[in-house]
Amino acid sequence: MIVTTLKPLDEILESISPYRKILIAGCDGCTQPPRGIREAKTLKQLLELAGQLKGKEFEFKVTSVVKQCDSVLTTSAIKPYVEDIEAVLSLACGAGPQTVAEFFPDLPVIPAQNSHFIGIDDREGGAMFDSCAACGDCILALTGGICPVTRCSKGLLSGACGGASNGKCELDPERDCAWELIYERLRRLGKLDLIRELTPPKDYSAKGWRVTP
Amino acid sequence: MNQKVAEPKPAVNINDDYCSRCTICSSLCPYDAITQDRDNNKMVLDIEKCQVCGICYSACPAKAIDTIYYSSGSVLKYLDKVRPQYKSDTLVIMCKGSAPDFSEVGRLFGVKDFIPLSVPCVGRISEEVLLGVLVAGIKKINILACDEDYCRFHRGSPLTGRRTIALNRMLGQLGYGEEAITLKRNSLKVTVDKDLCIACGNCVYYCPYNAPTLTSAGGISFDLDACRGCGLCVALCPAFALDLENWERDRISDLIPQLLAEMKPPKILVFRCQWAVYPPLNGDMSPNIGTIELPCAGRVEALHVLEALQNGADGVMVVACSEDDCKQEKVSAKSEWVVTRIKEKLDQIGLGDKINFASVSPRYPGQVEEKVRQFRQSLEGAGADKGENK
Repeated sequence: MIVTTLKPLDEILESISPYRKILIAGCDGCTQPPRGIREAKTLKQLLELAGQLKGKEFEFKVTSVVKQCDSVLTTSAIKPYVEDIEAVLSLACGAGPQTVAEFFPDLPVIPAQNSHFIGIDDREGGAMFDSCAACGDCILALTGGICPVTRCSKGLLSGACGGASNGKCELDPERDCAWELIYERLRRLGKLDLIRELTPPKDYSAKGWRVTP
Repeated sequence: MNQKVAEPKPAVNINDDYCSRCTICSSLCPYDAITQDRDNNKMVLDIEKCQVCGICYSACPAKAIDTIYYSSGSVLKYLDKVRPQYKSDTLVIMCKGSAPDFSEVGRLFGVKDFIPLSVPCVGRISEEVLLGVLVAGIKKINILACDEDYCRFHRGSPLTGRRTIALNRMLGQLGYGEEAITLKRNSLKVTVDKDLCIACGNCVYYCPYNAPTLTSAGGISFDLDACRGCGLCVALCPAFALDLENWERDRISDLIPQLLAEMKPPKILVFRCQWAVYPPLNGDMSPNIGTIELPCAGRVEALHVLEALQNGADGVMVVACSEDDCKQEKVSAKSEWVVTRIKEKLDQIGLGDKINFASVSPRYPGQVEEKVRQFRQSLEGAGADKGENK
């Protein structure tokens, strides 16, 4: 899923301060928990309370889009409000506000979230980490299902680099050495021969910036 | 004079002078809180294990157990006092855990007017009360208990079932008919609006009872037999697709401004687990405090806390059981987490001091009052500080 966090409320207040009539648009999509109608409503209440303290009056409307990165879903969800609003405050990942900007050229859009990465949702463990760089050329089949592009600090394709100690990365002692994890995993799977294969340089052009399905 | 600092007086007490050592109390206690001392055969209550269900109190044949909540005498006195308010000689005794609103309770029993008596677990209501009200002229007693496997105290509802059968048999012999006392069972559970569900799986993760599952059709399906009505999934559903019978989101939202309008400043709105505090029969009386009783603190949601602040509450308190006392699967701990998350956001806009979480138990009366008093003091202190800074 896409891991996002709510921006500091001060920053949001600052960004929306030029506007009065604002649509808070949630997104039911990839984040966990989804920043859907509940988050939109909660943010509305918080901003109203903060507005009261600062003597600033807002007129919020709330909605939630099934997927804010979907042009059709977003357009149809926001269109009914367009006449009545001065700006959209988006609770989606970075793709959401950009969808709004793309299809509503005259409507200012403000992000309410910081988007961090595509990550594993480890609900019991709590902390989430970057696990997919969307590199466009997946090599997980060779690495036991553990991505060295994101999880190795150096993004090495043929590790380990030799700098790890006690299974932790030399650049960040909090971080597991991805290549030690890969080694251990391949050993368990009985596929250590894979680690002897020298992975050729990745074709980063495959990441691309545009895909037509 | 006695200068000792008073120990907190527990809500339940065994009076050894009257105890006949029959051990019925220890065999009925759902929490193994009562044991028999091997040396002197005395019955010993471990108040820290006691959950104050009142089952031992209602079952003790020697009346050797005292409780400060809903004792038979106080219940009879209370009913005697309020009876003139009602044009009815039908009494409905209901457990808070499973009783919908009074009109719905009436519909369940097919009666329009009745005298309501709402208690935390009907298992605490002894034969003395049931027979006493008949003696006082009540013609019909209806009891609404929880479904047996929904009973928060496990044995309260089954015990009431056996008690009802036994009493009806005796009353039948006396000419009261076989059904002087009618027992029905109910439970209050989650409701799902499938049109709103976004199939995120949040409820699947949070439910302590594995009641919800995501279906291949992309929606949610609840095993209602497994649902225990804690309301945690309802409070956390990102799409408002879930609700809880009798504690519907809109119902609570309507109640908040009503209560706040009647209160005097400083207004403190308390969202309270109904098992953490047992209010007096005639209700809580402070003009500064409004209380919304919930089936579990897990039902508290950010929406309602913020609505309270928007409607003029000076402070909002969430009162829960401790993690060990929680009548649900450690839901009170989750509730604290929910409140902490709301507080983190309120901190950012300078309102973090207005929310407070406290865990209390009815085993020591007065705990909640003390916590509310402390919170009120901190609110007034904060208000005074702001005044000085001006």
